[in-house]
Amino acid sequence: MYDGEFAAVVGPSGCGKTTLLNILAGLLPYRHGTVQVDGVPVKGPGSDRGVVFQEHAILPWRTVARNIGHGLELQGVPRQERRRRVREFVELVGLAGFEERYPHELSGGMKQRVALARTLCANPVIMLMDEPFAAVDAQTRITLQEELNRIAIATRKTILLVTHNVDEAAFLGDRCFVFTRRPGRLKATVTIHIPRDRRIWKEVVADPAFTARRDEILELVRAEVRVE
Amino acid sequence: MTRFGRGRLRRILLGAIPFLVLGTLWQMNAVYRWLAPIHMPPPAAVWSAIFTLQEGCPGLLDALRQGSGCLLTNHILSSMGRVALSLLVGLPLGIAFGVLAGIHRRLGNALEPVGVFANAISGIAWVPLAIVWFGVGWRTTLFILLNTVFWLVFFNTLLGVRGVPRVYEHGVLALGATRWKVITQVYVPGALPSIVTGIRMSMGFGWRALIAAEMIGGDRGLGFMLFVSAQEYKTEEVFLGVLVIAVIWMLTDRACLVPLERWTIERWGLVWRPS
Amino acid sequence: MSSLSVARPDLLRSARARRFWRHGGLELALVTLLALALWTAISASIARPDRYLPSPVSVLDSSRDLLWKGILPNYLGQTLWRLVTGSLIGIALGIPFGILVGLNRTVSEMCYPILNFFQSISGIALLPIVMIWWGTTEKTVFVVVLYTCFFPIAFSVLTGVRSTPRIYVNALRTLGASRLRIVRDVLLPGAMPSIATGARLSIGYAWRAVIAGEMLAGRRGIGWMIFSAQQVDRTAQVVLGMALIGVLWILLDRYVLRPIESDTIQRWGLVQR
Repeated sequence: MYDGEFAAVVGPSGCGKTTLLNILAGLLPYRHGTVQVDGVPVKGPGSDRGVVFQEHAILPWRTVARNIGHGLELQGVPRQERRRRVREFVELVGLAGFEERYPHELSGGMKQRVALARTLCANPVIMLMDEPFAAVDAQTRITLQEELNRIAIATRKTILLVTHNVDEAAFLGDRCFVFTRRPGRLKATVTIHIPRDRRIWKEVVADPAFTARRDEILELVRAEVRVE
Repeated sequence: MTRFGRGRLRRILLGAIPFLVLGTLWQMNAVYRWLAPIHMPPPAAVWSAIFTLQEGCPGLLDALRQGSGCLLTNHILSSMGRVALSLLVGLPLGIAFGVLAGIHRRLGNALEPVGVFANAISGIAWVPLAIVWFGVGWRTTLFILLNTVFWLVFFNTLLGVRGVPRVYEHGVLALGATRWKVITQVYVPGALPSIVTGIRMSMGFGWRALIAAEMIGGDRGLGFMLFVSAQEYKTEEVFLGVLVIAVIWMLTDRACLVPLERWTIERWGLVWRPS
Repeated sequence: MSSLSVARPDLLRSARARRFWRHGGLELALVTLLALALWTAISASIARPDRYLPSPVSVLDSSRDLLWKGILPNYLGQTLWRLVTGSLIGIALGIPFGILVGLNRTVSEMCYPILNFFQSISGIALLPIVMIWWGTTEKTVFVVVLYTCFFPIAFSVLTGVRSTPRIYVNALRTLGASRLRIVRDVLLPGAMPSIATGARLSIGYAWRAVIAGEMLAGRRGIGWMIFSAQQVDRTAQVVLGMALIGVLWILLDRYVLRPIESDTIQRWGLVQR
């Protein structure tokens, strides 16, 4: 992957997308091949790779602010600096006013914003996202996708998104990696040439360039599902 | 706020009614002698038993210093001291081993059946063997209590740590946490509902075991007092002892365990799972 | 510059084989063997092992005599009989009491503290009083076990009934259901999980009360066996009795109480999150 890229991995369920992500994150050991970040092999989980999980992985016993600042706390950033950075990211994900709430008082979409802010706040080199919007309702998902796009522009992060949602992959990704069904292997790479700042749902659905790419990916994925 | 206050007042007043009814019946029994005083001593006799037991005790300071005349307070302090000591030792040990067994799969699998078995015979069944080992006295009763507390806390911590969703650990690891941080910031707070259950259960079973152990193999403490008084047919002292035990238990529950639960589990919105 | 490269992403199949080891049968066997070995070693290395810690072999040996004379089955039977009669009657009385009290908000608020009070006085603490009343008779043990069971279960049932969501009750009311119907169709099933959990807890307390009652009131049974064996210095019998108490409780809990509890929770449990 190159710097600042937004890559999306799509494939039928059970093809090992989540496993791939867990290996990249260093949470699972790998048998063959190598995983490197900036040329350094991955040995275990570390703060250079931030992960946003499928389920809500934010800690229920920490407030929103303490969850977002958790990464900085673990890196030993002093409190003043931490507070400043946390405020910045609270604003970025639009959670101002909710800093002192506990996660169980938030909606599913808000919890996922906290998870996103927590990962961003730790300032990783690359951000890995595992179906981050799978557990939220359709309207919220669309809003969050547009916001993720906005945040990706604002922070210029390198992001790898794993999803089974073809629309999501096509909407967010610069490049989409399509995987085969189990055992998952790379099947095709689809590049999407739409400028990032033009990616708004209302506009892209009317854009033939977008729909064509999306349908291409959809066909690739459906071919895999059909061969059950 | 006033509504809340009024509801609370209502509950207190309502809750007092059965106690008043029972107290009245008890006093009426003292007047009309339905049951003989040796079977059901009058309230006044139970009240004056306090002073009979504390006869040789000049003041509060002497009671705290466990002077020889302060029989009742000595027994109370002795029982409570053992409870405090066993919590002080048993709680950290139980939590530490429980966490260790909870995060290490092999160790957990090996220690779980040990915990099941130890909990099954914990408490009263150890008394005879403890008497063989430690003789009649405080060491036997302390052993019984410690044994009960440790295994219950250990077992519930183990279950609690196992129940913490893996994704919390992964999330914190991905932020760059060390193993130790994961334990203190994920496993211990995540297992807290279960740990608190363990503490509550260990207090419930522990007090019962302590009282029984003091009756059978003790030489001081409230259970011992009950037993000796019953043998001398001083029923008023037995009643007094039972009331004291109930009050102490309710106070510890109200003053320690309920606030602990409110400040952690309820505030975090965690679900209490009966183990 | 940041880059992330993956060579050969065909490694995505791992993690499944390890699940095989997860059930821990191997560990159980190992830990049992280890415990027995440790026990034997300690027993062999101390002075007067038959007084302080008889070896597993001599404990088994002591059971032969007891089994042959028929004492052991007799004791076990008596202890279990006390547990079953006392706790079943206690539960049978406690459930309707808890429901009746829980029906009405005022009544339940009134009874909550006093139930809590009696629940916190253990049956064992009452044993001396009951012994003054009825001496060292079978009745004494029975009453103590009954008492031990009654209050925890009544308390759990009350809590269960009160925590049944009001919408269910209101929904039935709008359908024109009678009070009895509401109890049968909503409150009883709603309280089922707490009844099951409360029953298991109170039988746990009752089990200990039976053992303690036998020791203190001198009624023949497994608790009395270990108590009297200690007094005549037969430690092997003490250890045997303890092991039996443990095994008996595990069997009871595993094969009777826990299945009942999980069945009721599965069947009636309202998913609460």
